Amino acid sequence: MITFIGGKGGVGKTTCSAAYALKCAKSGQKTLLVSTDPAHSTSDVFSIKINDEITGILPNLDALEISGAKESKLYMDKVRQSLKNVVSPIIIDQINRQIDAASISPGTEEAALFDKMTEIITEKSSDYDKIIFDTAPTGHTLRLLALPELLGAWVETLIAKRKKSIILMSMANHSGHAEKKEIESDPVLNVLKNRFDKIEIAKSIITDSEKLTFIFVTNAEKLTIDETVKAVKVLEKYGITVSEIIVNKILPENMTDEFWVSKKEQEQKYIELIKNSFKNKKISLLPLLQEDMKSDTIEIMADKLRE
Amino acid sequence: MSKDFFSKIKKNVKLFVQGATDFDRKSKSLLIKESHNEMDEFLLLCFGDLLGIPLPTSYYSLELLPLIADDLDGWHNRMSGRLSVWQEKWADYDFDA
Repeated sequence: MITFIGGKGGVGKTTCSAAYALKCAKSGQKTLLVSTDPAHSTSDVFSIKINDEITGILPNLDALEISGAKESKLYMDKVRQSLKNVVSPIIIDQINRQIDAASISPGTEEAALFDKMTEIITEKSSDYDKIIFDTAPTGHTLRLLALPELLGAWVETLIAKRKKSIILMSMANHSGHAEKKEIESDPVLNVLKNRFDKIEIAKSIITDSEKLTFIFVTNAEKLTIDETVKAVKVLEKYGITVSEIIVNKILPENMTDEFWVSKKEQEQKYIELIKNSFKNKKISLLPLLQEDMKSDTIEIMADKLRE
Repeated sequence: MSKDFFSKIKKNVKLFVQGATDFDRKSKSLLIKESHNEMDEFLLLCFGDLLGIPLPTSYYSLELLPLIADDLDGWHNRMSGRLSVWQEKWADYDFDA
């Protein structure tokens, strides 16, 4: 089971992810928490150094921080390495320029991140009962999840073009008859087909509500609620199920100060609004705590989530 | 000497018959041309950003580079050196070629 946790910047995605992961671990599920936010703070929450290797934090709970920049660098180094064997040194300069241009072009880090996430999902699903992704702010995540749709269509066109070209060339060489062997042995087509299969797997997991659910974190504030409503609509358009809404940073009861009393009243109204906007979803409320987020405060949050 | 002479005649007759009965020649060159056109379009979809057309998928086409890098230089020259579309189209109706 895979869970994505997302929301507007600053609503407390990392806190909620950590709390949710802890809750799952405590209920006996083997859990992997993956942070994909470029501003990693999972390490800080648990005060344990986590990096791109799976690190054990607590019994039943492992964590991992992945970064698009690092993954894209690895991928490009691999391409550079394999270039050395095939290409003549004259064009290698131009090719290197192409790779450098790609490394700063928009979408590169997302694509790398998406690849890594797909890899984690396909390779680790059998080792863990639950994989939780702490995602980057809404906009990035929406684009990330839309990626398979876009890529799938593109790779399909490429495969068709390449195939047509090879068939035509084969017909030219065998007086009008295309050799099947020449199509099957084309290395470019094989790379493309591999890519296509991976995208299809990712697509089927993303749109399968049995395998993947989305939890949206929000605050009881106008702007945040508006964004959440919009984002949930977009996600559902892509066939992704949003199962739960967590309302974070709920103010404590029985406040005396006039400012906070009116603030609390306003909050109550917004909570009603959230309940009305998401009628068929589970809504959980998490309190605003006095202390900073540390491992013991996360436990309080996890217990709250259990209720 | 006469052996040389006869083998030369034999070779020329063979070439003549081959040339006179090569009905595939035009269709073959058309097929090759069409195949190259498709391949050029394929490269455009992969590496359009080399010509200044931004592609959201350029990250994924990088892994194809080692396989088609050798075609890339010629393609880039063909694409950026295009002078006349008419000339290119006209060549399709040149039945002597």
